[in-house]
Amino acid sequence: MNIVPQLIINSLIAGSIYSLVALGFNLIYGATRFFNLAHGIMAASGGYVVFFGVKTLGWNLYISIILSVFVVGCIGYLLDRFIYKPLRRKKSSNMVMLVASLGVFSTIQALLAILFSTQFHSLRAISPEQTFNLFGGIITQTQIIIILVSLISTISLHLFLSRTRFGKAVKAVSDDEEVSRIVGINTDRIIGATFFIGSSIAALAGILVGLDTGIEPTIGMSLLLKGVVAAIIGGIGNIFGGTLGAFLLGFVENFSVWKISSDWKEAITFTLLVSFLIFRPQGLMNKRK
Amino acid sequence: MSKTVKIVVWLVVIIVVVAVGTSLSRKSGDTGTGPIKIGFIGPLTGDAANVGQNSKASVSIAVEEINAAGGINDRQLEVIYEDGQCNGKTASNAANKLINVDKVPVILGGACSGETSAFTGASEQAKVVTLSYCSSVPTITEAGDYIFRDYPSDLYQGKFGAEYAYNTLGKKKVAILYVKSDWGVGIEKVFVDSFKALGGEIVAEEGYEQTSRDLRSQLTKIKATKPDLVYFLGYSDASIPGLKQAAELKLDVPMLGGDAWDDSKIFTEAGQAAEGIMFAVVNSPLNEEFKTKMEEKVGSDEITVCSPNAYDATKILAEVIGKVGTDSTKIKDELYKVSYTGGVSSDKIEFDSNGDLVGANYVVKVVRGGKSEAVK
Repeated sequence: MNIVPQLIINSLIAGSIYSLVALGFNLIYGATRFFNLAHGIMAASGGYVVFFGVKTLGWNLYISIILSVFVVGCIGYLLDRFIYKPLRRKKSSNMVMLVASLGVFSTIQALLAILFSTQFHSLRAISPEQTFNLFGGIITQTQIIIILVSLISTISLHLFLSRTRFGKAVKAVSDDEEVSRIVGINTDRIIGATFFIGSSIAALAGILVGLDTGIEPTIGMSLLLKGVVAAIIGGIGNIFGGTLGAFLLGFVENFSVWKISSDWKEAITFTLLVSFLIFRPQGLMNKRK
Repeated sequence: MSKTVKIVVWLVVIIVVVAVGTSLSRKSGDTGTGPIKIGFIGPLTGDAANVGQNSKASVSIAVEEINAAGGINDRQLEVIYEDGQCNGKTASNAANKLINVDKVPVILGGACSGETSAFTGASEQAKVVTLSYCSSVPTITEAGDYIFRDYPSDLYQGKFGAEYAYNTLGKKKVAILYVKSDWGVGIEKVFVDSFKALGGEIVAEEGYEQTSRDLRSQLTKIKATKPDLVYFLGYSDASIPGLKQAAELKLDVPMLGGDAWDDSKIFTEAGQAAEGIMFAVVNSPLNEEFKTKMEEKVGSDEITVCSPNAYDATKILAEVIGKVGTDSTKIKDELYKVSYTGGVSSDKIEFDSNGDLVGANYVVKVVRGGKSEAVK
């Protein structure tokens, strides 16, 4: 049997998920220039809000998803408003911001574990899913949705950033926050908005993973790591770079197990990261500084 | 005050504090009249939480029964429950706390093999008896003089799985998907050796990280090798998505699993994908009284793997402590002589010179309509 079509599909699914995480991460990094580790837990929270809506309150799945994306966006915004913004005002270094975001990450993860237990939950109803045959590989309905959502999010975010005043403002803030403020850009509002949008996209990633496989509080860290690796490979802060990095990571991970034992899947991720850090630290899409 | 005097005074203070401290802590170890404290380690949260919680319930039933019958030599039995989260680091911290702070003579646990393996060194050194009710990895056999288990070693389970697949099911080409934990790797090795010795062929051996939930690439590879049967060793949290992904990839071959699949969460959460899966578990002669009490305690008729073993282990320890007191060395010596009958986990519990359970009796269960039933 030829397993290449299936491996391509597996790579696309993994790449789409990584890409969604990297997308929001890059957006926030672009505006603030710090590694927002709390981004991973936004994804997990997205899954849990849907879980709470569907399983506890008995809401419709689609309403819960829309609500979850909005709620998590708000959480992201509030984190910026009450934690990162005061730190920026104090001119805290990026290292301080990173540690603060790690604190946020651990706190929310613990909170999720207390509220929902650390057990593994599936968001999808247990009935078997409709599957499609694609050039000899098999893909489920949810997985097609994952790939589509990822593509649509990337393209719309790109259009949004390149065609609107908001996008220009983000670029300005990313170049120099102080100068942007002097020329009259409300930088806090811009950064707040990137947190809202970035966290919403992360929530989407978490929800889709929850629908496809399932969620648990620790899911945030693995998603974050993959997203960050994708972002670094692609070129940190670069929207398309993140997507490219994500798919490259997905393909390398899944195709490497073709020839060598799948025990090495995780090791390969980080081998790729280290080789990029050594040989092309600026990533695929960014120019050398 | 000169510098020398100062130093001498401080030295005296330190010596007094240390001396008083150690004498106090020694006393608090066993007062002779208060409750007898023993430690418990199991996955109360995390990957195998269902098993840990169920075992905790069975232990507390045993404790209630012992205390209702007058305790151990008129002293109440008290269990300090610690969470090992099915991982070595957490279990090791829990064991250190039980050994150094609570100063228990006996630790009941851990459940997951990775938990127990992580602290047997510490407990052996501190001469604290360890009686695991669930760990099956072969290396625990050699872990030390103070280490016991009333759960059979994987040597039995891996061999049983191989024989069942080859002889009873008549499968000659088997692919293995296993979690890279002490438990998974331990059984996998024995299974491969036994299956090859029988004349069978292993077409794929694919491992995955314990935290991994995406087993698609492993399953894709396995599917391509066209096995007659997949021997899938996984804990609940990876088995649920794993079984679903196998169904989605149309991997339509019978699945045989390990004792960790004896968890109703898998059948309910994986739904249709878990229909028809088989797994080998230790045959436990559960009695009605135990079943009723468990149902009252956990609110469902579920009795997971190891839960009966935890119950029996508690009863055995109470019996031994009642005979020889709370000195851990004496408890250890007495455990080697134990011959416990009438338990709920096994007809007869005896330990060999390595502290391993003597003999093992397995039964294969199959999932039908979201419930597991024994294969006749």
